[in-house]
Order: sequence, then structure tokens, then C-alpha cells
Amino acid sequence: MFEMLLIEGLAIGACYGLFGVAVAIIYKTSDVINFAQGEMGMVATFVAYHILTVYNVPFWIAFPATMVFAILLGMAIEFCFLRPAKDPTVLGLLIITLGAEMLLMGLAGWKWGAEQKDFPFLLSVTKTHEIAPDLAINEWTIGVFTLTIIIMVSLFLFFRYSKLGIAMRATQQNVNAAKIMGIKVERVFSITWAMSSLIGAIAAMFFAARSVLDPNFMMEPFMRAFAAAVLGGLTSIPGVVIGGLIMGIIENFFGYAWPEWKPIVAFVVIILIITVRPSGLFAKHYIKKV
Amino acid sequence: MKKILIASMILCTVFVCSLLVFAAGKPGFDDKEIRIAQWGPQTGPAAPWGSVARGSGLLFQIVNDEGGIHGRKIKYFIRDDQYNPAQTKAVVKELVEREGIFAFVGGVGAACGMAVKDYLAQNKIVWVSPSTAIEEYVFPVNPYIFAVYPLYDDEASILTKYAVEKLKAKKIGFLYQNDAYGKSGLKGCKTRLKTYKMKLAEEISVEPGEKDLSSQILRLKNSGASVVIMWVNPTSAAIALKTSATIGFKPQWISSNTLSDYPLMNKITGGLWEGVITGAFVIPSDANHPLMNKYRNAVKKYAPEERFGVFYAAGIMFAEPLVDALKRVGPKLSTEAFIKQLTVTKNFQGIGSVVNWTPKVHQGTDSIQIQKCGPNSSYIMLQDWTPNDLATWKKK
Repeated sequence: MFEMLLIEGLAIGACYGLFGVAVAIIYKTSDVINFAQGEMGMVATFVAYHILTVYNVPFWIAFPATMVFAILLGMAIEFCFLRPAKDPTVLGLLIITLGAEMLLMGLAGWKWGAEQKDFPFLLSVTKTHEIAPDLAINEWTIGVFTLTIIIMVSLFLFFRYSKLGIAMRATQQNVNAAKIMGIKVERVFSITWAMSSLIGAIAAMFFAARSVLDPNFMMEPFMRAFAAAVLGGLTSIPGVVIGGLIMGIIENFFGYAWPEWKPIVAFVVIILIITVRPSGLFAKHYIKKV
Repeated sequence: MKKILIASMILCTVFVCSLLVFAAGKPGFDDKEIRIAQWGPQTGPAAPWGSVARGSGLLFQIVNDEGGIHGRKIKYFIRDDQYNPAQTKAVVKELVEREGIFAFVGGVGAACGMAVKDYLAQNKIVWVSPSTAIEEYVFPVNPYIFAVYPLYDDEASILTKYAVEKLKAKKIGFLYQNDAYGKSGLKGCKTRLKTYKMKLAEEISVEPGEKDLSSQILRLKNSGASVVIMWVNPTSAAIALKTSATIGFKPQWISSNTLSDYPLMNKITGGLWEGVITGAFVIPSDANHPLMNKYRNAVKKYAPEERFGVFYAAGIMFAEPLVDALKRVGPKLSTEAFIKQLTVTKNFQGIGSVVNWTPKVHQGTDSIQIQKCGPNSSYIMLQDWTPNDLATWKKK
């Protein structure tokens, strides 16, 4: 039982972590929390669903097509909603993302309706492999572990060593200085939103496969992923993933012992940790001295 | 200056008086029509339940095509409240004060109904068959509300009896939504188990939005329950079944009538719903029953785009006793005469269970059918209309 709780906790935690990474990427470059992240993932998942069920194409075609859509969606939202804002404050940008969230949810409800749907994902949650006596692991869990590790390592290397990754970090630290150094910050923002949307769409598809697909299905996972990202530290990609894993484990073990406290226990732990470490567990805490 | 002041005062008085007249609303009927209305989520998260309101509309269309009721046609209004009580208040107020409504029928959403219950009573507007089971609607008796939806604790009690006596369950688990709906089911189950000197092997709550139920399902598995009764929403039920399949937990699942739309449930669970037992307050929509056959044909004629599912049929069932009482009132229609006829409704049966209303009891039934999801989302009848012999409200 302990092993099952651990595996299930790590699996859902990895999913929170993956989605948290999508939130953190935008935060790392622009200090903005994208409240439309969940709905961007939701719309991309609906597009995948549409391609799979209406056009009846195999998953290996629908998946890359959805990824292309997710990239374009991220860039379009940045271009249409955030870029036109004149001298925006962080609060202003945040409100814009809230508006985008409402718009996307309305669009999905209008196009696909509110009725719940089963998302035909490649990796099944019901197909299991017994790895030890009385201990099974499903395809979905194997997939989420593998993908989280690949994405985490790729992003870590990208931000640490690639020119674009360094440009993104520079943009976050000082937009004007980045411009002076010849970095095309608008292009950086656009690529950031595209990357974030892409990772968010992948995570959203995993969430949909585990539950059901409807226009509201990403609201709750977004809240938890965001909380996990804050717990790990929004500016640290590995920290965000570890935050997600911690959250998944806490929820599952507490949920087993005291089911009625499951929905809030992780948030209580997060509040306690943030009180002690405001930047999260793994992010560096900078104090500006005047 | 004085003249302007007096003129303004007169204008204000006229305006206020006109508002008062307007607020009082038009009478809900005339010689040609009776105005009936329903709110329901046509858009938003609960839109799948919007078919209830459209189902009622089908019955009114049939009635009108058959010549109406004593020369009057039913004019039917549907308003989309998006399952939002604030919106429900606004649309009900608009309907009552602008259109003049004689009676409301159905009305999805416990909170939505609670938001307008007192307003309707204040305006002496009858509300027949709320589309949810809330004890506060009918206990103590509200002179304007008449319910046909079986109470959740009655339903849970009947299903628990079935689990113990027919399925010979020794250990029963209960998975419930942490709100009034879930807790009513839990109460009914526990009351029934007491009569067998049994206790639940496990009772676990879930929050409506929870997307990960692995710890809850593992706990149910650990309890050794061979039957699990669930009182949750469709999304939680789908997650529960998927998680159970993942961890190799295969109990007999039983659920309330709210999850009796088998085609939908089978679709969102990827086929895992087959074999699940549920309560039902409407006979199966594919049943060979004279009334059901008539309604099925009417759907093809009037609303071919509609899926004739359980909630659409429920909308018809909610409106049936209203039409029956209106017919019995005769040509001299009034709210008082209508209420009088409703309170003497005896052994009325449409496509739901037998309905009985008296001046003292406005809860019309405590009976459900027990059905099972068969192959291709078919409805297998396990037990015909069964009342709850433990229903305390019947003994009052």
C-alpha cells in the first residue's frame, strides 16, 4: 500500500510539476503569472480531441499537430493581448491573462460544449504493468515520469547553456539592459509563451487522460500546479518539479490518513514553507539594497 | 421653481407607482394561454443538464398540438441561468415581473432553486417538480412547491437494501461528495445499514473539483469492500472508476440516479461504466412503454437534434403532473384552483414513479427503479419501482 501511495503521489506530482514548469517559464522571463495557462492547455487538448475524434487520425499525427497549435496559441496570446499593452505594470499584465482565460473558456464552451468527454490518450491509465507483487504501474504514470524528466533536463540545459535561454534569463533580470545588449526582447517573449504553451498543453493532455475533458477541467490542476511551483520556487525549473512531487506525495499520504483534509493539506504546508522561505524551497532569494 | 418641484414630484410618484404595478407582474394566464417557465443551464459547466428544460418543452409542445388545455395553449419560457444562483434570481425576476408566469416547472440546481424559493412563494407562484432533491423545499410544507424527485436519502436507503439483500454484500464502502447531496446519500445508507446491525466498511469524502482520487480509492480497496456506493458528480465518478482500474480494485459500483445517463457515463469513463448499478427516477428511455414510445416519436418530430437521454426524459416527467393538474382544474383557472388540484393528486403516473400529493405532504414519491448499465450503454432493469419502507417523512 505504501508503495502504491508513493507511486501515485509521485505520478500526479510529476504532472503538477510539469504544468508548474509551464507557469514558471513565463514568470522567469516576464515576472507575470499567466492565469490563462490552464485554459491554454485546455484549448490545446480540445484541439487534439477534435483532431482525434472528428478527423479520426492516429495519435502520432494528432499529437504533433496539437503541439504546433499550442505553440501558435502561445505566440498569438502574447502578440494579441500582452504586446499591445502600453507600459504595463505586472498587475496589468496579470489582469490581461485573466481576461484571456475567460475568453478561452468561453470559446471552448461555445465550440465543444460543456458535456464531459473522454480524451483518447495514447497512454492508458487502465493498462498496468506489475513491477512487483501487488504493485502495478500504469502506462500513463510511466509516460508522465519519462516526459517530466526529459523536459526538466532539456529546460535546465536550455536555460543554462543555450544563447536563447541566456537571453531569456537576461530579459527577466533587466529588459532595458537586455535590449542594449542587442537581445530582441519581443522575440524572446514570443518564444517564451510558445514554449510555455507547448509544455502546458502536454501536461493538460496528461490531466485529461486521467480525468475527463470539459472546459473547466484545468481549473483545479492549475491551482495545484501553481501552488507547487511557488513551493519549489518559481524561478527554479528543477525546484518547480520537485515542488510538484512534494505536493503529490503530501496529498496522497495525508489523503489516505485523513481523506477530508486532502484538498487543503498541501496548501497548509505551502503556507508554512513560504513563511520561512518566501522564494520557495529551491529558488535563490534576492534582496535589493537601496 | 415651485412649479418645477411639484412637476418633478408628480413625475416621480407616477414612476414609482408604475414600478409597483410592474413589480406585481401580469397574471400568469389569460383566455388564450398559460405561461409556464423554467430556468436551466443552457451554457456553462452544467449545460449537459440543460436538456431537462428542453424536455419539459417537448411535453408542452405535444399538449399544444393536441389542442391545449381547456382552450388555452401553454406558452413556455426557458431562461439560461448558467447554473449560477445570482443569474437564476435575475432571470426568474424578469420572467415573473415582465412576462407574468403562472407556474414554474423543473429548475436544475439546488443552490439555484434555494435562491428563488422564497421569492416565488412571496409572489404566490407555484413551482412543480424541482429538478433536485432538497428537503428544505418540502419540509416543512411550502404551499407553492410540489416535488417528485425522490429524496437522496430515500434512494440511498433502497440501494443499500438491494446491496445487502440481493448482492449479499458483507462489506460496503461509501464514496461521497462533501456537500449536502453527498451527505444525504450517506445518511440514507447508514440508516438502512443500522437495520441490519451493519456499519460501513469505509466512508470517504471527495471535493467536487478533485482530480486525483488515488488515496481515497486505495483506502476503499484496503477496507475490503465488495460493494462501493458513490454519491458524487459525473467527473468524480469517472476518475474513481479509472483510478480503480489502475490499482486493480474491482468492487460492484452502485450510484445515485444523477449518474444514470449511461451513454454519457460510458463515454467519459472509456467503457468502464458497464456493470454499474444505479437508481433511476424515470423508466429507461429505450423502454417499450406506451408513453415513452409516444415521447420518442415526438422527439423525432419536434426536436430531431436532441439526444433522448435520461435528463431530457426527466424534463418530460417533471412536467407531466403539472399538465395533469391543469387539466383537472377545468376552464376556471386560478392559482388557488391549481394548488387545490395538485394537493389531491393521487396515484398519478407518467414515465416516473407514482405521484401522490396531499395538503400536508408535498413530497410526491419515495420510489426508485434499480437499473444496471449493460453492453452498449443499454439499460437492464434489476428492480421495478421500490419505495423506501424507512422513509420517516411518510409517517409524519
